[in-house]
Amino acid sequence: MTTNQGWKSVGNPEQRIDAVEKAAGTVKYIGDFAMPGLLHAKLVTSTHAHAKILSIHTEEAWKVPGVRAIVTGEMFPFHIGPILADRPPLAWEKVRYYGEPVAIVVADHEYQAKQAVQKVQVEYQPLPVVNSVQQAFETGAPLVHENSSQYMKIISNVYPVPGTNIGSHIKIRKGDFQTAWLSCEEIFEATYSFNLTDHVAMETRSTRVEITPSGKVVVHSCTQSPFTIKKVFNQFFNIAVGNIVVHAPLVGGAFGGKGTVQLEPLAYLASKAVGGKLVKLENSREEDMITSPCHIGLKATISLGATKEGKLVAGKYTFLVDSGAYTDQAAGITRAAALDCTGPYNIPNVWCDSYCMYTNHPFATSFRGYGHPELTFAVERTMDQLARKLNLDPIRFRLLNTIKPGDTSPTQTLLDANNIGDAAKCIERAKELIQWDQGQRRETGERKVRSKGISLFWKTSTTATNAQAGTVLTFEADGSVNLNCAAIEVGQGAKTVLAQILAEKLKMDLKDIHVTMELNSQYDPHQWRTVASSTTFLAGRAVLAAAEDAIRQLKKTAGIAMQCSPEDLDVGGGRVYLKANPEYGVQIKDIALGYKYPNGHTVEGQIIGSGKYVQRHLTPMDENTGFGKPGPWWSVGAQAVEVEWDPKDYTYKILKAITVLDGGTIINPMMATQQMRGGMSLGLSFASSEGFIFDQQGIVRNPQLRTYKIMRFGEQPEEYLVDFIETPNIDGPYGARGIGEYGVIGAAAALGNSLSTAAGVELNHLPLIPELIWQAKQGKEEEL
Amino acid sequence: MIPFDFEYYKPATVAEACETYRTLQEQKKSVVYYSGGTEFITLARVNQISADAVIDLKGIPEVQVLEMQGDQFIVGSAVTLNQIAESRLFPLLAQTVRGVADHNSRNKITIGGNLGSRLSYREGVLPLLLADCKVRVAGGMKGEGERVVSLSDVFDKQLNLEQGEFLLQILVDKEYLDLPYVHLKKTKQSKVDYPLVSVAALVKDKEIRMAFSGICEYPFRLGEIEEVVNNTTFARKEQLKQVVGKLPAAILDDLHGSAGYREFVFRNVVQETIDALEWAQK
Repeated sequence: MTTNQGWKSVGNPEQRIDAVEKAAGTVKYIGDFAMPGLLHAKLVTSTHAHAKILSIHTEEAWKVPGVRAIVTGEMFPFHIGPILADRPPLAWEKVRYYGEPVAIVVADHEYQAKQAVQKVQVEYQPLPVVNSVQQAFETGAPLVHENSSQYMKIISNVYPVPGTNIGSHIKIRKGDFQTAWLSCEEIFEATYSFNLTDHVAMETRSTRVEITPSGKVVVHSCTQSPFTIKKVFNQFFNIAVGNIVVHAPLVGGAFGGKGTVQLEPLAYLASKAVGGKLVKLENSREEDMITSPCHIGLKATISLGATKEGKLVAGKYTFLVDSGAYTDQAAGITRAAALDCTGPYNIPNVWCDSYCMYTNHPFATSFRGYGHPELTFAVERTMDQLARKLNLDPIRFRLLNTIKPGDTSPTQTLLDANNIGDAAKCIERAKELIQWDQGQRRETGERKVRSKGISLFWKTSTTATNAQAGTVLTFEADGSVNLNCAAIEVGQGAKTVLAQILAEKLKMDLKDIHVTMELNSQYDPHQWRTVASSTTFLAGRAVLAAAEDAIRQLKKTAGIAMQCSPEDLDVGGGRVYLKANPEYGVQIKDIALGYKYPNGHTVEGQIIGSGKYVQRHLTPMDENTGFGKPGPWWSVGAQAVEVEWDPKDYTYKILKAITVLDGGTIINPMMATQQMRGGMSLGLSFASSEGFIFDQQGIVRNPQLRTYKIMRFGEQPEEYLVDFIETPNIDGPYGARGIGEYGVIGAAAALGNSLSTAAGVELNHLPLIPELIWQAKQGKEEEL
Repeated sequence: MIPFDFEYYKPATVAEACETYRTLQEQKKSVVYYSGGTEFITLARVNQISADAVIDLKGIPEVQVLEMQGDQFIVGSAVTLNQIAESRLFPLLAQTVRGVADHNSRNKITIGGNLGSRLSYREGVLPLLLADCKVRVAGGMKGEGERVVSLSDVFDKQLNLEQGEFLLQILVDKEYLDLPYVHLKKTKQSKVDYPLVSVAALVKDKEIRMAFSGICEYPFRLGEIEEVVNNTTFARKEQLKQVVGKLPAAILDDLHGSAGYREFVFRNVVQETIDALEWAQK
């Protein structure tokens, strides 16, 4: 007979539940939708990085057959934004970046809209361009925003400095930095930088909006933040929240780029201009790269001070985040980078100034890791250089300073065995996997150099303090379960993990769990957003709560059927059975819709399990010191990269990339491993190849994949190695921590460290193309 | 999406192609010959090319030829780069075109399209310049039919055909096919990218021949450079300096690489090429 013994799902390498449809190519993405009567919108975008809009002439565009509406900025002259409302959806009065939407053309067919876009004539008066964070920071720099003090703050932790290009200034003041700095026996300072890059998700952003005659606004979008769309529409278009319905299907890759709300308001304005008709707005690849938000650039200066023995005493961090023309999520990234500025090291005295800088570059939003791949590149390069100065092995130096329970974070959160993973174990395991003891640098027979680099990293996720998720479970007449939850499947495997958590709790076969892939905001319970590696944690806990609710109901109904107390029952294997005698029980299918007595009378009715989870005890940060508890836990990990570098022409090959993550309990080891590989691939691509190139006028010279190169299949490392340390997080479902973003975080740093060791020069800028190494080697040829 | 309407013609013979072109010209239409279509599609969707009509040459039997005919290797202009790469009848050409774009694109890109590309690289021409090949050209406004000329007569920096002409075939003498050769291509980072420097080289009568793309704004083969390369009295360092000095135009300085770095790569590549072919000079 069936007992609960055979049912185990957490920890199993289950196949993803979306694998078959994706492999068969039958998944319908947002852009795949077509129907008669659907109107198409296309954007007129700015040809200048910074200019006054003198006039917009639409007469010629109107002559294109099929054109139904042309929307320009003065039709909605208000600012929107997730943190600081500083961005007009359509540029109004002036443009602040090359590629910024200036007008929308709506037409019967896409080609007509595209033709008409060519015929909209915009007259500009060029303004001085702010082309770097350094320039933006200088006194007297041209202003990207003249009136930033008047912008509405949507969340509290954003501090624009009026009369400057500072969109937000976040401070961390821990200990007594000034005094401690003077006491340091060894100090090291260096500056790091890279330009803005793009997410390059395979699916370009796409949305469609209609306004029904009764006033409902129906949005379909590939988004990570369906409920934020509702919030934005409510805040800025004054539509009742309940009248906004958001649908989101499977998303074809997001990497943070679909966390913000940009196209949906434009499609709404377009629909409004044509009487509420359904309007589709889909990015071309080029628009997706520069018109829609990209990934921050950064200039970081780090000073570390230590004792002779290598114990870190004080750290000073200055981050100039290139947020482009608008703050969007870059304001939050500026904050996130500050609160984890030290990396996973115990540094008693910390001074950090993190600035979100306006420039005339395309604007940036969240990118997988939310500030952490970026700060980790700077921190871990500094750690390696200081280790060299101290004449310490880089791993030993890190181990001397690794943060532990009992230490405090830069925002002075006390760490305990539960809220921080085991960084030391991670680096020890990575050291084994990369075979560190066989030497960090050696020359091969073919006159090449093989070298290894390591990085240690951490991240906490700065969710809203009331971030939450909810789950509803309904039961089918065959005893199988529908799992409804607003977590978005962006390819990360969220839906599979949630199904596994439910299967484990209900001790049920995974195939009897049906997860709704699409989201409908009208019947899925509220979930904050699918970002910040928070889904397994938030939605996982909500699933557990819903399962408990369903189990309670199942036991109650079964207790009636079996004429016993619900306390004597257990659920498992598709049955509710007597704990004392598991052979005696009732099938869930026989009670899923209520228990029917032989005479037809039915009691209890269907089982509907509901559950929720909300973040506990999170606080905003203090404006002057950063003091606060911004996130629920830190996941920590170590990464290592081995390269083969050619000293003759400075080209290199990545041989191995390794991730060891303390992810708490790993729900699905196969998916988790794959997620780390994907993260490394994203990070190594960013580090080795990517970056927008600007001309003197701030024009992006490589806004297409012809010239903006990402790592291609076949260029990945010969070997990806992944391992997990599983220090359970008591709050997480089955002890799980968030892992989604982590594979990317230390990749750039490990590559930078390994190439710097190989080439014998400090490589502190990205992307790490051979020309960069050549530049760094200039004048040092004789060393070879 | 290509936002403009255009007429599409697919002639089955050379005569029909010529006639179609002339008719469209008389109607004052702008006309583009094409075969693979990769360049037309990618440039048209971003409004960098437009045409009232396109003439698809793929239906003409002569442009699909890829075979030895007597002592000549014949390549039709609509033969795809992958077909050339896989045929291996001319190994240097095979290896050179295998470096262009990615595999999917090479299934479409044709040798004629590569030679006539608007992009400056046109790497497919490098081995052909070395092999003193001839080309068969058809069309033109006067209607006299076909002509066979030296490649060097119609290719200087780019393919310079008369209005209405199109490339029909490339003819390579057999004696060039199996000579010792080297092809090297260096890029900014990814192998699938435009060249910083691309070089094709072969040794004929103990003399190294070299043609380059990527280093300057057009592909070229230059006798003066080959003289230096084959002058064994030079010390290597001096030889490389001389080669750089003989470049026919300024070294490119663009988003793929600075002029300084390109020169560094160029020196490496020339040296590597000479090292690899030295044995054949003796």
